[in-house]
Amino acid sequence: MSAVVLDGSRSTRVIGGRTLAQIEADFRKPGRTFFGDIFGFDPFDFWVGPFFVGLWGVTAILGIIIGVYFYADAVIFHGPYSYAQNFIAGRLVPPPAAVGLGLAAPGTEGFKWQMTVLFASLTFFSWMMRQADICRKLELGYHVPLSYSVVFSAWLTLQVVRPIAMGRWSEGFVLGVLPHLDWIIEFGYRYNNFFYNPFHALGITGLFTSTLLLGMHGSAILSATQCRSADPEASLHNFWRDIVGYSIGEDGIHRLATLVAAGAVLVSNLCILSSGWLVKDWVGFWLFWNNLPWWRGV
Amino acid sequence: MAIQSFGERPVIDADIGGSNGRIGQPIHIQLLDFFGETQLGPIYLGVWGAIAFISGSMFAFIWLMTMFAQVGYNPVAFVKYFAVLQIDPPSAAYGLQWAPFNQGGWWLTSTFFLTLSLLAWEMRLWTRALAHNIKPYLAYGFSSALALYLVIYIFRPMAMGNWSEAPSHGIKALLDWTNNVSVRYGNFYYNPFHMVSIFFLLGSTVLLSMHGATVWSAEKFGAHEEIAEIEAPGTGTERAQLLWRWVMGFNANAYSIHLWAFWFAWLMGITGAIGIFISGTLVHDWFKWAIEAGVNYPQLPYPNVSVPPPPPLPTVVPPGM
Repeated sequence: MSAVVLDGSRSTRVIGGRTLAQIEADFRKPGRTFFGDIFGFDPFDFWVGPFFVGLWGVTAILGIIIGVYFYADAVIFHGPYSYAQNFIAGRLVPPPAAVGLGLAAPGTEGFKWQMTVLFASLTFFSWMMRQADICRKLELGYHVPLSYSVVFSAWLTLQVVRPIAMGRWSEGFVLGVLPHLDWIIEFGYRYNNFFYNPFHALGITGLFTSTLLLGMHGSAILSATQCRSADPEASLHNFWRDIVGYSIGEDGIHRLATLVAAGAVLVSNLCILSSGWLVKDWVGFWLFWNNLPWWRGV
Repeated sequence: MAIQSFGERPVIDADIGGSNGRIGQPIHIQLLDFFGETQLGPIYLGVWGAIAFISGSMFAFIWLMTMFAQVGYNPVAFVKYFAVLQIDPPSAAYGLQWAPFNQGGWWLTSTFFLTLSLLAWEMRLWTRALAHNIKPYLAYGFSSALALYLVIYIFRPMAMGNWSEAPSHGIKALLDWTNNVSVRYGNFYYNPFHMVSIFFLLGSTVLLSMHGATVWSAEKFGAHEEIAEIEAPGTGTERAQLLWRWVMGFNANAYSIHLWAFWFAWLMGITGAIGIFISGTLVHDWFKWAIEAGVNYPQLPYPNVSVPPPPPLPTVVPPGM
């Protein structure tokens, strides 16, 4: 199998594991941050409680505070209902179509939406970079920030890329707990029937496949740790081969998991981006199928 | 983890077919090396497997042949219209009664075989786990998918009193049923069980990605050898735990992440099954329900209307005003 384990890693195993204090004492050390590597010093290289801060932690906190301020100001404190009702039903809408791709002036509709989206994007980007910083500190691969970048790309597709492709910010996602559900159902029927969007079908398939894989992997490990045989790993391999004829193995399942989950989200990005920009009617879209030259007359 | 043999547990199965019930010889495909083990096969048959494979094939045969007949056995038309062909359940007039084959009888027959196949598969997962002396968690997990299937195809149609409530067998038909059920009951997005089920569906994808990426990134430290790492965590698991502790202030461990995984995936199916079962039986309009329950309010028209002026402020002015 392709996974190569560094010498000495396996010998660090301690039955029952070490305490958190012992582990933290080994790993909580300054250095190995992007900022420090570039400038030679890093004033943000510290922890607050369990959280690592770093440069990207500071920008993330700033983005969270300012973004939440704009969101809460518009949705909760200036919403049409009581504060408690606004928390659930309050909505934050993008600028009107007349604004196009311009910036809404402060005080006009859509300004707070643009600010919330801007600072949320800053926070999501910072969060990703902070994960990368932490991966460097722990000498891990960049798989976690790369996976996070995929879900960040879904946010960017909805709120930035598609509105730019359509030429107006009003295409952006309505923010709010229940109003965002209204936006989804309205978006689905605006293009006639979203269920006929093939990328939507593939995206949903990816989400269900991810849930299936998660259930399969979780139950496999739980069942092998509650095991009556002398060799749980061999039992697990034989179990999967008996059931489906193939056992992917312990490193393979994590690689497949990462790729399937990322693929589901990337295909979903296509389904959002193509709606309205490339295809206006997902029912009419399929007319091409009946008119393919090799079976037009059938 | 004390590894100890407790002896054989009784298994309700018989090793029919092949040697010890296993069919085929193991073959090795080098191309699979990046994704996992290269060994393909053998596969176990047994009584439950035989029932599952045969009745599953019966379902597929009836489904495909009925659709093939609908296009006059023209193979080109069959491929062209494959996605839109369907077998419908009996119309509501038949209630839960038998219907002639061309008026829903084929749907009843094929659904019987499909259900039998899935139930036999559940028994197969259960008995194979016992045969290998591992706890049948996969069978527990599959019970969630089974519950969702049974509610949609069997229990809810029975509660509603006719089979026409069930989806037709067909690709477009399944999408249409999903669409129609949402529109018919007000707006499925306001169904709280649908909300929770979607939460677990998307949450499962996030968890899968987080867990997969974490372990992949710590592969060089041996974190992927999970059975060993659960018993005796080494540097790989320690780093993986610190990663999430430093990122979000909380971490699972090599064992508990699989509890999270199992319950997220299991609850997706169960909450979905509840949400579908009560639609049309207990609740007829989720939009109205949400207004009555006080979680939604008559909405302003969409899109981009000006928000009416806020109500008079309460006496305590919140910060940031």
